[in-house]
Amino acid sequence: MSDQTQQGGASQKGGTISAPPRPPIERPGQADAPAGTDQTHTIVVLAHDRHGALDRIIGVLRRRRAKMQGFAIGRNEFPGMARITIAMNDSEVAVEQLVEQLRKIVDVQHVENLTSEQTVARELALIKVNSNDSQYSTEIIELAHQFGAHVVDVTQQTLTLEVTGSEEKVEKFLDSLQSFGIREVARTGRVAMIRGVA
Amino acid sequence: MYVAATIKQKPDGATIYQAHRSTEGIEARELTGSQILCEALMREGVEFIYGYPGGAIMPFYDALTSYPALHHILVRHEQAAAHAADGYARATGKVGVCVATSGPGATNLVTGLATAFMDSTPIVAITGQVARPFIGRDAFQETDILGVTQPITKHNFLVQRVEDLADIVHEAFKLARGGRPGPVVIDVPKDVQFNTTQYRASTSISSIERFRSTRAPHPSAEAIARAAELIKGAQRPLIMSGHGVILANAYAELHAFAEKTNVPVITTLLGLSAFPETHPLALGMPGMHGPAHVNRAIGESDLIIGVGLRFDDRVTGKASEFAPHARFIHIDIDPSEMHKVKRAAVPIVADAKEALARLMEVVEEGDNSTWINEVRRWEAENSERSESIQRNQEYPDPTSILEAIRAETKDEAIIVTDVGQHQMWTARHYTWTRPNSHITSGGLGTMGFALPAAMGVKMGIPDATVWVVAGDGGIQMNIQELATLKQEGITVKVAIMNNGYLGMVRQWQHFFHNGNYSETPITGPDYIKLADAYGLTGMRVTKREDVEAAVRKAMNTEGTVLIDFMIESEANVYPMVAPGSAITKMIEESPDHE
Repeated sequence: MSDQTQQGGASQKGGTISAPPRPPIERPGQADAPAGTDQTHTIVVLAHDRHGALDRIIGVLRRRRAKMQGFAIGRNEFPGMARITIAMNDSEVAVEQLVEQLRKIVDVQHVENLTSEQTVARELALIKVNSNDSQYSTEIIELAHQFGAHVVDVTQQTLTLEVTGSEEKVEKFLDSLQSFGIREVARTGRVAMIRGVA
Repeated sequence: MYVAATIKQKPDGATIYQAHRSTEGIEARELTGSQILCEALMREGVEFIYGYPGGAIMPFYDALTSYPALHHILVRHEQAAAHAADGYARATGKVGVCVATSGPGATNLVTGLATAFMDSTPIVAITGQVARPFIGRDAFQETDILGVTQPITKHNFLVQRVEDLADIVHEAFKLARGGRPGPVVIDVPKDVQFNTTQYRASTSISSIERFRSTRAPHPSAEAIARAAELIKGAQRPLIMSGHGVILANAYAELHAFAEKTNVPVITTLLGLSAFPETHPLALGMPGMHGPAHVNRAIGESDLIIGVGLRFDDRVTGKASEFAPHARFIHIDIDPSEMHKVKRAAVPIVADAKEALARLMEVVEEGDNSTWINEVRRWEAENSERSESIQRNQEYPDPTSILEAIRAETKDEAIIVTDVGQHQMWTARHYTWTRPNSHITSGGLGTMGFALPAAMGVKMGIPDATVWVVAGDGGIQMNIQELATLKQEGITVKVAIMNNGYLGMVRQWQHFFHNGNYSETPITGPDYIKLADAYGLTGMRVTKREDVEAAVRKAMNTEGTVLIDFMIESEANVYPMVAPGSAITKMIEESPDHE
């Protein structure tokens, strides 16, 4: 909700390192994804948490040479089940087929393409930044507040921050922190669900 | 509690094995994993197990001797076990079973599993695995066979507790044959085979019902109505029938549907024999080696009714130019086949038998005689041309061999082909009339398939005369199975079309690689001496005029017979479509190389 209103407002320090652009993941010779028809799709898979189930899901994605942007796995409300959120870039046609192929996996109970639905999507990131200067620390903490992030660990040299939100928000937060020197980033990848009663 | 298998000798020497089901014991008994495996296989009605023992599967083999109704066939290479189980499954519609040990035994099954996967045939493969404490520690003969077979099986199981074993076996059978059939692997660690548990024959397996892959969805009334409307409005309709018609046993439904709507029928390679080629509506095979009039008809068609096929690239050629004027009604049991290659105007996810029966209820009687006459005119033009290319009077030519087999078996043989030129010649020129009389590796194109598969076919249909037609390349890939045929007393007749080349590759080199015959000339053994060495009968035919007599002699000779037909060395399969080009662009004669 606050994703749109909170902008990274920190001033850039001298000697900034901007994040390197993410190289495109290429699939040479891909027949069914004409250039320009691809978009990011969010696919939710509910699978029985059995031996090999995850292998098969990943196997289908590998064979399709899916351009993976996120793969988050965790529990859901049913015991013995896993909820997997896949974010990937592909054409509509290719994703339709991928969804059907995922549905064929014996351990998969449900597959949903959330792309066209009204969804809530969030990810969590842990970010470790340099803070060997108390002036820096104050600025970082101020910045964190603007993004609704929390400080989860403090050492002499570092501050570790936890931020939750859309991928865009996490990206912006990372951009704002670049100037302090980011030591390590851990992002969960997107988890998503349909708004309201689906 | 168990009676040994009843073995009946038929007058022609064929043996019939009759497996006896175990009495359904309701009382729980303490059994080992190996015994439970056998009990569960008995409950599934398994007659034959094709396999090869080894360290990690020895407890199972130990138990097997107490279950004589489970007839085990000792193959000479595990690949043959998988192909034999596949052949049995294709011929009978039942689940074929193969067994191998861990490591190399299991990996040798891989080609056979991939073959079954591509052609959607139901087999269950049981592999031994190293004992649980050793898994993942690079133990002797350990392979992660679940990982290896994951992309080429419908499902696979590692049995982690002996208590799960019986359920897993029943689930595996249900998965293999349900929905779109396919291979399933059960990996059983050696210690699980030794462990004991209470076994009750009346195991509930209802939980499996939720698996959508075992279900055949019913066609929606709306889709059926829309399909009927398209059929009514079509001027140049075609039915394309594939393996799904055979798997669904939908011959009668296809026949009735085609006749009522008066729509001509094309059969894909794996759909051959699903519709009699002697029928006035039968057109033949499409695609890379299909006759020109069939591909031309597809090019002109305004409606393709695809039944149980997946529009493989050997059928479609360049997909964007395949049937460019047609709309598609696509009937297939697998929803992931819909729109995969061609967008269907009416996708019908259903079993072919049910979908055709439902369509029959709503379609109107049709008359497509103008369209059919047009296609027949193209056929007549082309056959004059191809007749002059095909026939060679000197050598035993493929057509004469096939005609002789058809005549001598009174058109009642089951023909099992390998992969290559002979496969295409047989597909094209045999004139298929009996349902499911043609068995071949279509999707994977597995050389070495025919001989071991024929073993399974013959055991599944013991009354049938089974002919293997193979090339001199493919036959050498699993030639060791002659020993299995001999040991088991299984009779198949083998026609080798011997041209001293890996013929299809040579043909491609001729057409697409400037005649550079890189590594395609191949020698072979003296097949007469080879057959003799295996205790079988061998013959050689070098002249066209001796073909019929040799086939007759083979039919009258007891046991397995090999005939080495020395065919013309550089004959090509015509017509041919270059890979990746439109199927209407057919190559009908040889290019000139200097």
